[in-house]
Amino acid sequence: MPEFIHNYLDELCSKFNRILWRNFVYICKMNNDFIEKWKSQVKKGVLTFIVLNLLKHREMYGYELIEHVSKTISIDIAEGTLYPLLNKLKTEGLVASKWVEQISGIPRKYYSLTNIGEYVLSKMKESWEQLTDSIKGISK
Amino acid sequence: MKNIEFSDKNATSLYDKYIRDVKEIIRILSKEDQNDILMEINSHIYESMQRNITDSEIDRIVETLDKLGNPRDSLSALIADRKLFQATKTFCPTHVVKALSLNISNGFIYVIFCILYLFLFGFIFLIFVKILYPHNTGLFIGEDEAHFGFIANITDNTSLEILGDWFIPVNIVVMVFTYLLITLLLKLKYKLRRKN
Repeated sequence: MPEFIHNYLDELCSKFNRILWRNFVYICKMNNDFIEKWKSQVKKGVLTFIVLNLLKHREMYGYELIEHVSKTISIDIAEGTLYPLLNKLKTEGLVASKWVEQISGIPRKYYSLTNIGEYVLSKMKESWEQLTDSIKGISK
Repeated sequence: MKNIEFSDKNATSLYDKYIRDVKEIIRILSKEDQNDILMEINSHIYESMQRNITDSEIDRIVETLDKLGNPRDSLSALIADRKLFQATKTFCPTHVVKALSLNISNGFIYVIFCILYLFLFGFIFLIFVKILYPHNTGLFIGEDEAHFGFIANITDNTSLEILGDWFIPVNIVVMVFTYLLITLLLKLKYKLRRKN
């Protein structure tokens, strides 16, 4: 085979390989981004459910709640988003809050579940279980 | 509110600036709400500073404020919500106007509210116009057309004004009706939003 053809083919192959590799990397990255995005959407979607569940056991102040949420679902929620959520839950009557004085002089605002909150949580739990059951059913 | 004390000067100035920004943003809320939000943010910063005590003070405050996010972004939902709640509790027009302006980005329905509000101011304006130009203002009914408001050029062909001095009381009644309608719709909208 003449050398120039050999060289030409060589170059063509390496070009083709590069394109293949690039596409492979791109697809992996895209899938990964997609999965990460989806995960964070799901977590945000169940944030209310998680917060109410955490408050079921005992009352907590905002920062403590954020720590527990991060630990439970390993998600760094923008901390600023939790307070609007708590405010919404409070106007809905699902949680109650009270200021508790501390030795430091900087009081903590403790949140606790109300009776309505407990009821709503039990209903949420039911539909959560229904949902996971049906998903298990179709993803077998 | 008791301020948090730092030994690092830079940490103090970062903290002060953040608190100042928050104060500026929440100024439109009631005193009670302002105090509540401020105290909660202060408490959050304080509790966060008590963690990872081995890191330097400046590192901790930077991370804390960074995680809390720009107050303008993180507080906007909270402020819009509280303002709307306040507006539906009172009938005070300034609260309603502010709540509307904060919620305008939250949906088309608020544009309709704003248009209704413009109508309301239109009626108020017409009362003054009637006092200044009694002959040009009123309810003009013609054979096949009707005008409510102000007509600049009155000619012989202009339709007949039928309300006369009754224009002002009628305007007031319409105004009150529009105002009640807006507030009731707003309440309804708020209830629906809470249900969602």
